[in-house]
Amino acid sequence: MGIQAEAVWDAGDTGCGELLLELRARLSGLRPGQVFELITRDLGAPADIPAWCRLTGHTLVSQEHPVYRIRRKES
Amino acid sequence: MANRFCVSLTHAKDNSDKATVAFVVANAALGSGKETLVFLSVEAVRLSQPGYADDIREEGFAPLRELMENFAKGGGTIYVCSPCFKKRKLDENRLVPGAAIVGGAKLVEFLSDGSPCVSY
Repeated sequence: MGIQAEAVWDAGDTGCGELLLELRARLSGLRPGQVFELITRDLGAPADIPAWCRLTGHTLVSQEHPVYRIRRKES
Repeated sequence: MANRFCVSLTHAKDNSDKATVAFVVANAALGSGKETLVFLSVEAVRLSQPGYADDIREEGFAPLRELMENFAKGGGTIYVCSPCFKKRKLDENRLVPGAAIVGGAKLVEFLSDGSPCVSY
């Protein structure tokens, strides 16, 4: 996989608002530049997680559903 | 891109599916970094009362009470339509966290910066 994640969260089949609100909280606990690994089997995730990253400024490092690696933004 | 997002909800137990999805979407907006408002009017004002949402649970979704609590904890704002509230003779001294009774001007003010609004 290459990149080592600082934290991992298996969100099961959680998606949409329930997922994003919790994801925001978990990302805020990381330092800028650290990578978070999200696992979600939600059917909307392949479209939703990239959109969320564009909205929030975090970087989607890799996307291999159901595994998403997100690098926390600098500020 | 506007930094605000509004969800307008007019249903409660008369359409618990819409009430639930409204808060799921609101939480998506909040989780995406938007200053998020849920505007409760018509029947939805009943959701401003503690305990009212306790038995609303749609299959495939978290319980509505939990969605509302997470929304408030995450910094979301809930505006409650004043005339709708008064019409139903609800208790203004008992409001769920994050809720405030307002007139239409507050909604207009929030939307005036170009905030999008979705309605349920």
